Amino acid sequence: MKTYLLLLSPRLFSFRNRIQKGEEGSGLRLALMILIALGFWVGILFGFYKVLAYFQAAEGFGEILARKLMGMVWLTFFAILLFSNVITALSTFFLSKDLETIHSSPVSLETVFWARLTDTLIDSSWMVLFFGVPVFFAYGIVFKAGLLYYLYLIAVVPPFLILATALGAAFTMLLVNIFPAQRTKDILFLLSILAVIVLYLLFRFMRPERLVNPEAFSSTVSYFTALSTPTSPYLPSHWATEVLWPSLAADTYSEAGFYLLLLISTAAAFSVLASWIAGSVYAYGFSKSQEAARRALTRFNPIEILAWLAGRPLAPPSRVLIAKDVRTFFRDNTQWSQLLLLLALIVVYLYNFSVLDLKKSPIPTFYLQNIISFLNIGLASFVAASLAVRFVFPAVSQEGFAYWIIRSSPVTLKRFLWTKFWIYTPPLIIVAEILIVLSNYLLNVTSFMMVISTVTIFCIVLGLIGLAVGLGAVYPRFEAENLAQVATGFGGMIFMILGAIYVAVIVTLEAWPVYAIFMAQLRGLAWPVWKIFVIGFCFLGVIGVNLAALFVPMHLGLNRLAAREAT
Amino acid sequence: MIECIELTKRFKNVVAVDALSLKVRPGEIYGFLGPNGAGKTTTIKMIAGTLRPTSGRVLIDGVDLAQSPEEAKRVVGFIPDRPFLYEKLTGLEFLQFMAGLYGVNSGKFLSRAQSLLELFELTDWRHELVESYSHGMKQRLIMSAALLPRPKVLVVDEPMVGLDPRGARLVSNIFRQLRRNGVSIFVSTHTLSIAAELCDRIGIILRGRLLVEGAVAELQAQAGAEGQLEDAFLKLTGGEEEQALASFLLDQSES
Repeated sequence: MKTYLLLLSPRLFSFRNRIQKGEEGSGLRLALMILIALGFWVGILFGFYKVLAYFQAAEGFGEILARKLMGMVWLTFFAILLFSNVITALSTFFLSKDLETIHSSPVSLETVFWARLTDTLIDSSWMVLFFGVPVFFAYGIVFKAGLLYYLYLIAVVPPFLILATALGAAFTMLLVNIFPAQRTKDILFLLSILAVIVLYLLFRFMRPERLVNPEAFSSTVSYFTALSTPTSPYLPSHWATEVLWPSLAADTYSEAGFYLLLLISTAAAFSVLASWIAGSVYAYGFSKSQEAARRALTRFNPIEILAWLAGRPLAPPSRVLIAKDVRTFFRDNTQWSQLLLLLALIVVYLYNFSVLDLKKSPIPTFYLQNIISFLNIGLASFVAASLAVRFVFPAVSQEGFAYWIIRSSPVTLKRFLWTKFWIYTPPLIIVAEILIVLSNYLLNVTSFMMVISTVTIFCIVLGLIGLAVGLGAVYPRFEAENLAQVATGFGGMIFMILGAIYVAVIVTLEAWPVYAIFMAQLRGLAWPVWKIFVIGFCFLGVIGVNLAALFVPMHLGLNRLAAREAT
Repeated sequence: MIECIELTKRFKNVVAVDALSLKVRPGEIYGFLGPNGAGKTTTIKMIAGTLRPTSGRVLIDGVDLAQSPEEAKRVVGFIPDRPFLYEKLTGLEFLQFMAGLYGVNSGKFLSRAQSLLELFELTDWRHELVESYSHGMKQRLIMSAALLPRPKVLVVDEPMVGLDPRGARLVSNIFRQLRRNGVSIFVSTHTLSIAAELCDRIGIILRGRLLVEGAVAELQAQAGAEGQLEDAFLKLTGGEEEQALASFLLDQSES
């Protein structure tokens, strides 16, 4: 037990030290993070509260819906937990940098296993736990649950989490004995991306908005049949629902105790089973994960052509920087595979426009098409900002520990930073213009709206890239092991806030002039001088804000990188 | 070729390098020694241009590093002690990248890269990703990259770390050849035998200040030590570590 606690102590000490010896400004950072997390928490609570209250108002099938939803929530959590445990276990059991030290120390493999299982449990479960709690609180509030419900909730969560961790760890142990650990990580990552895409597309194409409208179903009977289909009694999600539901619905006959014991005993049994599996295969698997795998690369392929083409118009130092970034991006499975997500995003984005039923609206379709087209600039900009935070913001940080190469070379920081800017400009502009042009085509807008939205999105994307590269240089994290961490950190958050403000300012500044021009064209209205003056002033404002978004962050980023050399 | 003038680096309240002045002549190998935390790596980073001094100047081939950093860096090859590289590039692609940064003529690149890869025994690995290289192989790749633009100045932090005896011997021979070609080499090392064998002059830094400077024989004379450079080094730097080690070993044998 003492050794087990000792093995867990580094994470505890690191956590304590991070809090005690926080960097400059980390108090503000922490406060902002907490505020945003709380915002999400309250949002989930409020969202579920509204949905459940809406269900409850429906006589007859409202309760069935709420129960069905709870089963789905548990099932979703279990699926997320399983996946996250498999991915986390790969790191904690096989890829962590401290494992070499731990495995060379005189500690039994069993103790290492239990300590690492605890690490896996914490790392993979805390987020699900944090964001799951408001869901169940919403149930408690809507159904006016008593103390028993909350006691059952406290009892049901630990075995549920432990069961997912034990299953995930056992699966990982077996997997690593078949495939190399690094390759397994890549494959799993790719599979998880594909799974998310398939789920996302399926969910969207099901058109869930029709679910709240029973009229859309051919008959009430089929609606009820679909709702009352039982979930599998062998799934832990079913057991968890059965533990909680009776205390919510105030059922007198309850099997909650039985299902709780079933959950606890299964979690315990699978933990022991996982430790047996570890006993026989962990040592071999870890040894195997140490073997470096040579990877064959083809010399002539589309990536090479792209790497060659992308830098052609620029000077040699920029050219090699671009070629390096293109190659690095496409050789890192965790990077390029996210392009698949992007593709799914574009498909669903455009699909939304294709199923938009404007005829039902009380506003004339012609006006609505053009209003939506204008608002679509903001929406597409937000998509571009999301892409920028994931791919462009970490551009500077992705140099990692190899940043010394750039700094000791005769390449100016200015060239380095602007090259980063140019790398991302063509792909992001192409994506944003595809979104705008195709959705405008589906909306059948006027040519004026087509021109104004394509030009506006072009400028906004340039501003967003400047903002992302610049802030990425202001908040670089060269030590980050994973680029996704860079995007989700403090700097990424600041970028998203400033990006949203920037887009909102541009859209607001353009709103009135675009409306005025549109109406004047439509009705053949005259142009008074004051109108021309205000329109000109607004467009000058747009140009000014765009230029500021582009150059100010780049300038700040440049100064920040230069200042790093003085510390 | 390298000239540090009153070079000072202050980190908050700590003075890591204190008014350090030294000169490395063309075709000279200058050994930079000092105990842990003496300011060696800080000095090296300032000469390589990756860390800005609080005050003082660094001149490379007569060019002020602060005034014209690009011009100065163009003639410097830097080899750090830890080989952090772009893991997703192959060895050859990494050399191509470095050639682009330093403006090596693309017509000459391939023949130069091939001969360097051959020299550092990396030819068979040139199309493998850097992530599959061992520590020593990465170190050799960095050396190849540093030599690719034919630098006039080589700045090296711990040249033999991670190299096998064969690799260490190869590096020593290359340094000698570069010296004959007029290249100035500034080497920081803990391996005193290498410093004694390789360096024309040695400077010893202690608590950020250049304590002594001269040829090995001169240092021994100054320290009043006989025999090895190690004795002179320990005498000049106080020898606290040596005494601590002795008392530790004594405790071990008694217990």
